[in-house]
Amino acid sequence: MFMNANLFEPGKSKPERNFIQGAVKQNTRFDGRKSNEFRDVKLTFGADWGTVAVSIGETKVLAQVSCDIGTPSSARANEGTLFLNVDIKGVAFLDEAQATHDQRFLTLNSLLERTFKSSRCLDLESLCIAVEQSVWCVRVDINVLNHDGNLYDASTIAALAALMHFRRPEVSYVEEEIRTFSERERELLPLLFLHYPVSVTYCVYKSSSQPLVDPTLLEENAADSVIVLSFNSYQELCTLNAGGTAPTNVRTIMQCARSAASRSKALVQFIRKALELDAERRQQPNQVAGLVDLLNESAPQLSFKHLMAEQGQTETNKADQLSGDEPMQLQETVSEEQTTDTSTQKIPEPQMDDSSWLPQEQNLSEEQQVDGVQLSSKQEVPTTAKAGKSKPNRGKNKFVKKQPPTPRKQNQSDSEEEVTQII
Amino acid sequence: MSKTDIEEASKDKLREMHCKFNALSRCDGSVMYSQGATVVIAAVLGPIEVKTQNLSIEGSYLECNYRPKAGLPQVKERIREAAIRDVLELALLSEAYPRAKMSVQVQELEDRGSIDACALNAACLAMLIGGLPLKYSFAAVHCIINEQGEFVLDPDQNETLHQQASFTFAFDSVDGNLLLVQTKGAFKIAQFNDIECICRAASAEIFEFYRRNIAKYHGSSAEQAAATKEGSNGDPPMET
Repeated sequence: MFMNANLFEPGKSKPERNFIQGAVKQNTRFDGRKSNEFRDVKLTFGADWGTVAVSIGETKVLAQVSCDIGTPSSARANEGTLFLNVDIKGVAFLDEAQATHDQRFLTLNSLLERTFKSSRCLDLESLCIAVEQSVWCVRVDINVLNHDGNLYDASTIAALAALMHFRRPEVSYVEEEIRTFSERERELLPLLFLHYPVSVTYCVYKSSSQPLVDPTLLEENAADSVIVLSFNSYQELCTLNAGGTAPTNVRTIMQCARSAASRSKALVQFIRKALELDAERRQQPNQVAGLVDLLNESAPQLSFKHLMAEQGQTETNKADQLSGDEPMQLQETVSEEQTTDTSTQKIPEPQMDDSSWLPQEQNLSEEQQVDGVQLSSKQEVPTTAKAGKSKPNRGKNKFVKKQPPTPRKQNQSDSEEEVTQII
Repeated sequence: MSKTDIEEASKDKLREMHCKFNALSRCDGSVMYSQGATVVIAAVLGPIEVKTQNLSIEGSYLECNYRPKAGLPQVKERIREAAIRDVLELALLSEAYPRAKMSVQVQELEDRGSIDACALNAACLAMLIGGLPLKYSFAAVHCIINEQGEFVLDPDQNETLHQQASFTFAFDSVDGNLLLVQTKGAFKIAQFNDIECICRAASAEIFEFYRRNIAKYHGSSAEQAAATKEGSNGDPPMET
């Protein structure tokens, strides 16, 4: 009847840890995902501006943005303020063990602070009303509803989506007097962004060199170290949080960083798309929008797999029209090439430059063309069939539904190869 | 014309109710409950280990928290929390688990009117689905008197902007006793009595909703039992 506080969470006990370590060694995951496969992300926007519920698998998070007029700090008198707060008490029932609770609370808050505040993703100067007197104070409250691992990604996605969804009232400052216009008088204004950061989480285990992406609570608690990387949509690194006891080499981190960069870009695209759909829905009269959709089975769902699969299709169609090339054929040639790779194992990896980030950009853009995630045109490089094999094809597995299992094997052997090269 | 008819009809009807059981994986029982556009989520955990300071040998300790969507709980939320706790303490069969703690958490997701009643109903459903011992289930109903002196049952948020008085009643399912009365504003005692009758009638509808949904959740055999029961009694207060 009574639970031991330490054993209450999955992954805290020794047999569970051993099980996960063993599973990682065999490159399998408890929920059947591949090591580089993400859970589906779902967004539900509330009826109020700035309300969003995010679910990553069973992990559920609610974010609410609010704002009021306050005084700025003396150091930055012409900037508004952004305050982020994560609340993990309440329905998530995380307060059983006080120590872990506090630690989680601190790491989550500092991650959000570094991702959104220190990276200066909001244009805070645009939130200034009168210098040294009044500015907008934006507050993001994140309520954790259910914790099933990867709270980091869930809360950054929720915070970003809520901030992007939020609208603030317009104000005028005439003769030392602030007048706030209601929604009826003037249209509400969205917040201005300089860039859009989101995080991607990896778990590293001593028993394997292959990091697991998007861990569940079981995997997260059993992990030897957790790496959280925040990238913005321009693929610039905003936060790197790596801790724990597993020895991690540069290659592993770079490998994580590369796939995290493209994942972040895709996530931001997904959030944009979801926001567009939400705006469309708001245009229509008599539509009951809001968090009631969480209960309504028939409501349209804004899920990552669904929206991005559509996008992938349309973009490959576009590419098809442009180049006159059959997209499926391209995919097939890639996988064939990989199959031969696995059997022979003699073609060396394209030399990866660990010291600099830039050379990889080329590979990234190539990979993304294959993925159907379009990069800005200036970065585009002519695609070759070989491009795909230089990197783990995380995106490809997602976008192409039927993929023979060989590329995955290739992924694993890729990383092993990398490690042996170093040793 | 037809629109005013609909409005007329909606004044003495509850808004549409929906619920989803065990939406959260980490607790013993949870429910996402909506009434109109108001959505709350309630979760229970128990019986669990209790801190020594709260330990009681006579019965279990009840912990009840209400969390607003934004910011920290203020006075308004504390009052709501106290109301939920009071009703739960009446309904909870605490003698069943002495030296234990029952934890009930209610999280507001969207407030579009009658949040007090919704939070109470969600808490009751969460207790039922979480299998915590109750003496009886309970249902709360919110009703207002608007500017024109009309009674509006389960009002939407924009209907509550101009109100003379607002009432929240909670009834138990066995004897139909009043468990909670919250009133605000000026009203005559005759109006109070009328509104109590309206709310009592509406509570029967909520109990029916509980029964239907819990039967559906637990499978079709229970549903059939509920269907036969449904035929046998229709008038409040209901026997369970």
